[in-house]
Amino acid sequence: MDLSPIQKDLASKCYSAVADTCDDLMLKLASRGIRYQDEWPFAIHLLGHVFANDLNSARFLWKSIPLEIKESRPEIAAVWKIGQCLWTRDYAGVYDAIRGFDWSAEITAMVVAFSENYTKKMFQMLNSAYSTISVTDVAHFLGMSEDRAIDYALQHGWKLDSSCKMVIVKKPKTVTERKLDPSKLQRLTEYVFHLEH
Amino acid sequence: MESVEVLVAHIQGLFRSSDEVSQLHSLLKQSEDALRSHADRLVPFLSQIDPSIHTLGYLFLLEAYSSESISREETSGFLLSVVEFINSCSTEQIRLAPEKFISVCKIFKDQVMQLGVPMQGIAPMRMAIRKLQTSTEQLTTLHSDYLLLCLLAKCYKAGLSILDDDIFEVDHLRDHFLYCYYGGMINIGLKRFEKALECLHNAVTAPMTTLNAIAVEAYKKYILVSLILNGQVPSFPKYTSSAALRNLKSYTQPYVDLANSYARGKSSELEACVQTNQEKFQSDSNLGLVKQVLSSLYKHNIQRLTQTYLTLSLQDIANVAQLNSPKEAEMRVLQMIQDGEIFATINQKDGMVSFHEDPEQYKTCGMTEHIDFSIQRLMVLSKKLSSLDEHLSCDPTYLSKIGKERQRFDFDEFDSVPHKFMQRAYLFIRKGSPNGVVRHCPQTILSSSIMIVLEKRVTMRR
Repeated sequence: MDLSPIQKDLASKCYSAVADTCDDLMLKLASRGIRYQDEWPFAIHLLGHVFANDLNSARFLWKSIPLEIKESRPEIAAVWKIGQCLWTRDYAGVYDAIRGFDWSAEITAMVVAFSENYTKKMFQMLNSAYSTISVTDVAHFLGMSEDRAIDYALQHGWKLDSSCKMVIVKKPKTVTERKLDPSKLQRLTEYVFHLEH
Repeated sequence: MESVEVLVAHIQGLFRSSDEVSQLHSLLKQSEDALRSHADRLVPFLSQIDPSIHTLGYLFLLEAYSSESISREETSGFLLSVVEFINSCSTEQIRLAPEKFISVCKIFKDQVMQLGVPMQGIAPMRMAIRKLQTSTEQLTTLHSDYLLLCLLAKCYKAGLSILDDDIFEVDHLRDHFLYCYYGGMINIGLKRFEKALECLHNAVTAPMTTLNAIAVEAYKKYILVSLILNGQVPSFPKYTSSAALRNLKSYTQPYVDLANSYARGKSSELEACVQTNQEKFQSDSNLGLVKQVLSSLYKHNIQRLTQTYLTLSLQDIANVAQLNSPKEAEMRVLQMIQDGEIFATINQKDGMVSFHEDPEQYKTCGMTEHIDFSIQRLMVLSKKLSSLDEHLSCDPTYLSKIGKERQRFDFDEFDSVPHKFMQRAYLFIRKGSPNGVVRHCPQTILSSSIMIVLEKRVTMRR
């Protein structure tokens, strides 16, 4: 079975494309009536969906994996645990699921990339949702010890109010592009023409 | 058997010029009965023909072979030959005999479902649709079969490539109903509730003379998805058929009750309503959606608070939304912020939540691109409607009818004529038409053009 497109994506670290590549290849193999399930990299396929934050496709894939394969390959269940925690919004559980398993060599890099991505996303979420938040909660959401969490927050410009153990959030200034280019004029002319006729 | 051998030799001797192909086509049509009588012995002949060059001949043989029931041992071989055929066939030759191609594909789909391997059929069916369609705007009979296979195999994402095409031509209304219903289900599975609502809306408001089961099931899901998305069920638009208007609600009473209970906003009452009708929801396979409706009630209760308050304590939110604790309220608000359903900031120090306005100013590059894209789409739609209008205006049936009507009106009254027809247009839509052309139109500047087109169809049909 030729799994080279998936290997290519993994090697070039295009983790967000892994899910689509896996889907297309799986449908192609299925259409030829080949029994691909035994050698198929379900763990990577599942993690691809989780990485792209497509939890619905991850759920459907999990449901379609045969029971024997789920039982004989614990790595797949471990990836699914991450997906489950994301689905039930168990924010800290995701970190436990990532750290609680000894990942095989081919999937480790992807798991590490996902973990970094997830921490960044969590931080952005805290940024947009809170004006003040307790240190315990920051540590909880970022999956770090309280001291590390404080350092991380201070690095990003937040302030610490040590009397009540709260951190004051500083929202980053978002730079939005507002350039106007000539093609817009062309489009505006088209609209006016269309509306007049 | 000799006739089949002669036929095969004829097919193989063909070069690709179009006269020879049409000659072969007529010869094949005449030999259909002969082929069917030898259906079980056609397999060796199939291997002698190359499907990419002699597509038409291969198609006729394959169709004749599949018209008889296929034994279990031969099924997998049959499936593989169909897959190979679809992958390598020539598009022009298929379009000479589309009914045969559709028939082969339908039998393929039935076999794949019987064998319990719907995933095997997905990639070939997608290819078959692309080869059969004259443009991506055409709805073929195979669309709904493809979506059904995606649903059974749980490959919902695969259905999106076909679902995201805008459809402007519909050949058979039944295809449209199934396509919209399955499309709605796929979108629900992927939690694209707005798209699901569009699909189900099209299924419910399509022209129909009598109510059909697909529209009833679609309406049930329509109610549930409307509640999840908007917290209320909109009333039927004017262009709904009278069959739907009169009868839909009586067939979907438990769902209507659920909607009424939802409108009162009390989660305990809603839960009681779900309990009473649980079996009905279960037998309709809608229980999962109903549970989502339940959890959406908390969401909508919190959303309603943003319209009244600028800041509110977590304890108060918990009380109003009937949640158990301020911590739970905080988690819910956090989830809603994450999903973009609310704009707020939580202040844990004081235990307060401040609600904000939507920060979108519609000034960024990304947003202008999005607006441009939508305007382009509307312009294309508008042009299509105008060309449809012109086409109808030149139609002799329409012209003869309007000629008769004209005598009753003076030249000065010309402008009021379209209005007279407008009421009849509503009547026409409600009576439904067996081969109505279904359009998905946003309710904007285009509604007047739509009415003009519809009026003209009305005069033609009278």
